Amino acid sequence: MSTETSTLVAEAESGPRPGRAGRRRSSEWRYVGSKLLGSLGALLFVLVFNFFLFRVIPGDPVRTLARNRLVSDKQVAELTQTLGLEQSLPQQFLTYLQNTFTGEFGLSFRYRQPVWDLMLDRLWPTLLLVGTSTILASIIGVYLGMVSAWNRGKPLDHMSTGSSLALYSMPEWWLGLVLMAVFAVGAGPIPNLFPTGGLHSSDVDPASIAGVFDTAWHLTLPVITLTLAYLAEYALVMRSSLLDEMGEDYLTTARAKGLRDVYVRRRHAARNALLPTTTLVVLNLGFVVSGAITIETIYSIPGLGLLTTEALETPDYPVLQGTFLIFSAAVILANLGANLLYSWLDPRVRT
Amino acid sequence: MTSDRTKRIAGGLAVGVVGLSMSAVGLSAPQASAADPVVFTVGIGNEVDSFNPFLGIEAESYEMWALMYDSMITYNPADMAPQPGLASDWETSGDGLTWTFTIRDDVTWSDGEKLTADDVAYTLNRILDGGPESATWGSYLTSVDTITATNPTTVEMRLSEPNAVLPLLPMPILPEHVWSDVSEEEVKSYANEGDVVGSGPFRLVEGTAGGAMYRFEVNPDYWGTQPKIDEIVYTVYKADDPMVQALKTGEIDFAEDVPALQLESLESEDGIQTVLGSSPSFDEIAFNAGSVDLETGEPIGDPNPAVMDPAFRYALGFAIDRERLADRVYQGAAEPGDTIVPPAYSTYHYDPPEDLAWSYDPDRAAELLDEAGYTMGDDGLRTMPDGSEIGTLRLLARTESAESRDTMRYFEEWLADLGIESDVTSMESGKLTNVILDGEFDAFQWGWYVEPDPDSMLSYMTCGQRGNWSDSWYCNEEYDRLYQAQHSATDEAERAEMVKQMQEILYRDAPYLVTAYDEIGEAYRCDRFEGFVPQPDPGGILLFQYGVRSYLEMYPTTECGQTEAADEASSADEGGLDTGALIGGGAAVLVVAGSVVAIVLYRRSTADRRA
Repeated sequence: MSTETSTLVAEAESGPRPGRAGRRRSSEWRYVGSKLLGSLGALLFVLVFNFFLFRVIPGDPVRTLARNRLVSDKQVAELTQTLGLEQSLPQQFLTYLQNTFTGEFGLSFRYRQPVWDLMLDRLWPTLLLVGTSTILASIIGVYLGMVSAWNRGKPLDHMSTGSSLALYSMPEWWLGLVLMAVFAVGAGPIPNLFPTGGLHSSDVDPASIAGVFDTAWHLTLPVITLTLAYLAEYALVMRSSLLDEMGEDYLTTARAKGLRDVYVRRRHAARNALLPTTTLVVLNLGFVVSGAITIETIYSIPGLGLLTTEALETPDYPVLQGTFLIFSAAVILANLGANLLYSWLDPRVRT
Repeated sequence: MTSDRTKRIAGGLAVGVVGLSMSAVGLSAPQASAADPVVFTVGIGNEVDSFNPFLGIEAESYEMWALMYDSMITYNPADMAPQPGLASDWETSGDGLTWTFTIRDDVTWSDGEKLTADDVAYTLNRILDGGPESATWGSYLTSVDTITATNPTTVEMRLSEPNAVLPLLPMPILPEHVWSDVSEEEVKSYANEGDVVGSGPFRLVEGTAGGAMYRFEVNPDYWGTQPKIDEIVYTVYKADDPMVQALKTGEIDFAEDVPALQLESLESEDGIQTVLGSSPSFDEIAFNAGSVDLETGEPIGDPNPAVMDPAFRYALGFAIDRERLADRVYQGAAEPGDTIVPPAYSTYHYDPPEDLAWSYDPDRAAELLDEAGYTMGDDGLRTMPDGSEIGTLRLLARTESAESRDTMRYFEEWLADLGIESDVTSMESGKLTNVILDGEFDAFQWGWYVEPDPDSMLSYMTCGQRGNWSDSWYCNEEYDRLYQAQHSATDEAERAEMVKQMQEILYRDAPYLVTAYDEIGEAYRCDRFEGFVPQPDPGGILLFQYGVRSYLEMYPTTECGQTEAADEASSADEGGLDTGALIGGGAAVLVVAGSVVAIVLYRRSTADRRA
């Protein structure tokens, strides 16, 4: 309220007062612009920081790649040259910037392929696995949270909150292994319904209709595992924010109008309670690309997370630089998205 | 309302269950027919890093190159002696300076071109020229001056001084008409995937480096023994447990590198055969034998003076219970170790005589320490010969290896029993490498993989490798002299004698206390495939050997232990990966998803109506 008055005063002094709509739009643009600039700045910082970060972690890529294999100094020198590590640090930094802006991110030390190609190969499994799970978990989680808040203290609430918390506290890999032991290997009367891992079968073309089913069949268990593991986060946030809303006067008013309970819950309470959950979902979408390393490991799904952890062993600088830039970019973008979305959902945050 | 909802959910579940049981029917439906190709599926733990033989370094990559290409020689599984490959015969001049290889004349590339001595000379010269190619394979061609194809079936190699490693030439021979288009700059990123021209028994049909699956088809024009399988599929498993489960369900036929505990759990399974094969590698506890600045010759780092004394190190050899390490630390998947040339290489392995050989004997260790002047002080701790304190020995272990950490913890206890204080620190191997190069350690645990020719392993212990591959900073002139002599020896028996003398020197000076020869666990569906050839034979591993012998000899079967002649039955059943299962599984997913959607929609519509 006070800011409103001060702008009024300022504008009264500086000439004719523009229309209300115009003023709102300009403050909106200023807000969007500042958020965009901030994101860009963060991205540039990450770009520079990445280069130096991986060069200070212990380990020498040449020695790792050459151990047990290259005997003479001459061979080691050849390898150093092949990797481009004979250049001085500033020179390497320039090469790195050049590689980044041409979109290739350079050649991986270990795979000798453009990092971009490697990342693209690994990106789809990750998006498919973690993206699907995040979306499923948020939809089911929000619904569960809503139902338990509405039935607060009743057995349904206890059951849903208790079980989602129990699933949340289980290690993902353990839950994954249990599901695998039961549904992929078969336990007692349950036959083995799903494969133990991989993304698709060797004899099916993943681009065909049968291939799509095959991939879905392979992803069923890992997606269920991750969905169960992510569920609680959304359910609990939704539950508590809905509980906050439930005491509000407008709900009493709505009920007093004679609206049905379900309608009050969905059209009035849930809409207002969705704000924190929306932020959470959008922010989590930013982490989708970094993958779920443990689940990727046990279900043998080659994703970006796994690529990154394995690159640390060498250390494979180009891969690490590329993946970290992508991860950071995704999180920064999601943050930006959340900021903008929030300002749209709740105009109060803009001022 | 509550009862209402429960009923609806139960209904949805029922639909789901019907879907699931449908898929179960699909799973059990037999699909195999006589025309199906024989597919051999192998679970591996690591990706291929490159299909280009000049670039990759992973064991998986070497295995794939061996399927795609031939090399000049193969190995006799019994003693790892070189045997004819592409080179059907070879001879060397009396002075060891000229080697003449006869190349087979019945080999064609998969695109129909003939493989000649020119291809061989081209490949070897590419390595000899330097550049990225020489990084991987250059060490096999030390002191080689020229390589020429004198006619289509003869390759002549001239040397500046004799090289005892020859005729060991394990590099894949590549087609000149394909690779001459790949420049030295391009080869650094040449993937060698897609339609690869090779001469080996199999051809790559699917898969890229870093991918999760690689598929090979048999090469019908292969010049050697025609394989009895039609396809090999490699699937990468990033964790051991899922790989073992996949073997149980039959999704894979062979599991490579199974940990000892998992292997035990597989022993009782029907239709699965487990193997614990010796692998040509060893693990050791290494000491800082004297780190120096190589230019000035001044000591660097801060090794404890005790570990720089050979007598002290040799005495500690008796403090290590190697049986116990093999049992407890390696869960049985190791043999007690002694020298740096594993016993699998029987020609070169040195067996220490009884009066020299280490056994677990703490009393002997204490006696030897007393003799060397490290006597027990009043406080229950041993002192240096000059009476000063030894202090605490810094034992370094590698974080990523449980064996490394556990070995050092045992070592710490055994040292304490002798009255020597020590302390174990774990660090990543990258960091450890730096610490070793700086000389800031007393002892660490690591291991080496040893090639069929011990030359490179022996070279790591020479003075010239300090600051490079020598991680113990060991230097002994007599050892170096013998190394040079064996490297250019032309008589094999004479060379073997020198190699054994070198191991004896190392044994007495003890820069390394070799703790274990580790073994690799493998398991396979013996109700589907039999006939693998172990390497070394007997007692060796079945796949991931030097060469592809096992892939050529193995055959499909229906019963464990059945010989090939007895097995004329139809191809083995294809297990859980058939189309029926696929459709069934897919249907189940659809039905479950569909019923969920249906419930949600139904609920929404009723809610709206009620509102």
